[in-house]
Amino acid sequence: MNTAVGKLVRAELKLMARDPLVLTFVFAFPIVTMLIIGGAFGTRPNPGFDNTNPAHWYVASYLTVVIGATGLVMLPVHLASYRERGVLRRFAAAGFPRWSFAIAQLIVGLMTTAVACALLLAVAAPVYGIPAVHDAWRVAVALSLGAVAFVSIGVLLGSLLPSARSAQAVGLLIFFPSFLLGAGGPPPRVMGSVVRKVADPLPLTLLTNAVREPWLGLGTATGSLIAVAALTVAALVLAARRTAL
Amino acid sequence: MVVDGLDLDVPAGEIVGLIGANGAGKTTTVECIQGLRRPDAGTLRVLGYDPVTQAEELRPLIGSQLQDSALPDRLRVAEAVELFSTAQARDGGELLERFGLAERRRSAFGSLSGGERQRLFLVLALLNRPRLVILDELTQGLDPAARRNVWAAVRQLHDEGTTVLLVTHEMDEAEALCAQVVVMRAGRVLDAGAPADLVDRHASTATIRFSMPALPAQLLDQVRRLDGVREVGRDGARITVRGHRRVIAHVGAVLVRWESVPADLSVHVPSLEDALLGLLEERPTTDTPAVAQMSLIGAQR
Repeated sequence: MNTAVGKLVRAELKLMARDPLVLTFVFAFPIVTMLIIGGAFGTRPNPGFDNTNPAHWYVASYLTVVIGATGLVMLPVHLASYRERGVLRRFAAAGFPRWSFAIAQLIVGLMTTAVACALLLAVAAPVYGIPAVHDAWRVAVALSLGAVAFVSIGVLLGSLLPSARSAQAVGLLIFFPSFLLGAGGPPPRVMGSVVRKVADPLPLTLLTNAVREPWLGLGTATGSLIAVAALTVAALVLAARRTAL
Repeated sequence: MVVDGLDLDVPAGEIVGLIGANGAGKTTTVECIQGLRRPDAGTLRVLGYDPVTQAEELRPLIGSQLQDSALPDRLRVAEAVELFSTAQARDGGELLERFGLAERRRSAFGSLSGGERQRLFLVLALLNRPRLVILDELTQGLDPAARRNVWAAVRQLHDEGTTVLLVTHEMDEAEALCAQVVVMRAGRVLDAGAPADLVDRHASTATIRFSMPALPAQLLDQVRRLDGVREVGRDGARITVRGHRRVIAHVGAVLVRWESVPADLSVHVPSLEDALLGLLEERPTTDTPAVAQMSLIGAQR
């Protein structure tokens, strides 16, 4: 690993450990909402949930909520706040290449996502049980691609938005509709046709489909997976172009 | 863009000051030098490198203390030193000691006072034995003792052969530290030279004031005829003499000869601040600058 990137990753992890409250949104929000909504529809197979156990449906959906919260809220706010306060200028002037900071954030974002996902599953296991994974490879590929895509979007948003407050406003504005329509809200079958038309092309919806369907054995979701892969490439390229001076 | 046609030649091993009013383009200039800002047009070479296309080679050679920059609030002083150290770094502990931060090694950046933050930035700027050190508003927020301490450190850098570009609003600082001073306004260089030469060119008038209730007419005549006197004013018993700096000695000699040295005798010697004010008033700029052209910073060895 590049020395500059390695040093930045270590420093960021240390700072994160010192201020765990910054992780509340990524760690606590998905768990709390999963526990609430997972228990709302019971555990008996339900036609609204493609005849699966609704609690399992949500357990299989909520890993992408973690990914979305990291990429759309936590990272943009963190990066924009660094830029607003002159931290990025300080690092750039000290010889840290700008891309090294972006890569460090990408790595830290992916590590945060992995830990938050593990925590979510650890909480879900004793409460609702973890549904059997039908196609582990597809689920793993979708989760990996989705995490890289959303973390890249987070780096991109953080480099574009002028302040932490604006990053929070924009991030939440993107996150909550995506969350309600595409991952943690009502299942698509109970949505009206107009709402569904809005929900279907959202990146978080596509990612959730690409994870949930092969996980629960509802299908392969190849179309969604391809769309997520395309999004990953686009987000990575845009984030790299934006941060490479 | 706020910098235009700027020819800034900083000889290696010298301390060069960049002064001017707010909005003169000083900070823009140092940001371009460090590759933190891309000039719209023109050429810029720093230590032989192009700061935009060769930023990776150049930045390790520059140490900078930037205006309006910060570190993460929870990063500790010793961690910052470790984070910013490269293979050729000096002993960070020794630098922290020198700048009075040894006791604050375990303190978070967010808990440091303004002066302590400035000193930490100075430590970080000097840490990796840079060939060029850029100090932007170096002593802002420092108490007088800390200021003197920092000045001593800058002089030591000079003795070690490091090139220093000092951006400052403090004229006494520029006068005390800089061999050369560049005066900027609206992105252009108005004049450059040794502080004493700038004072000679743009603020050579010294002012002497004293009161003498029973002023002998002959004494006043003698003063008027002195070499270098430009103006003698009288307001009741209060006399004001303006002229070249050498007038100070001549007027003093006349007063001594008359054995009547007034108790309230005061002398205002023109300073770099007077020169700057004179210079800024001399040539108003009407056009709007558009491009940057800078060259050869510290490249002359």
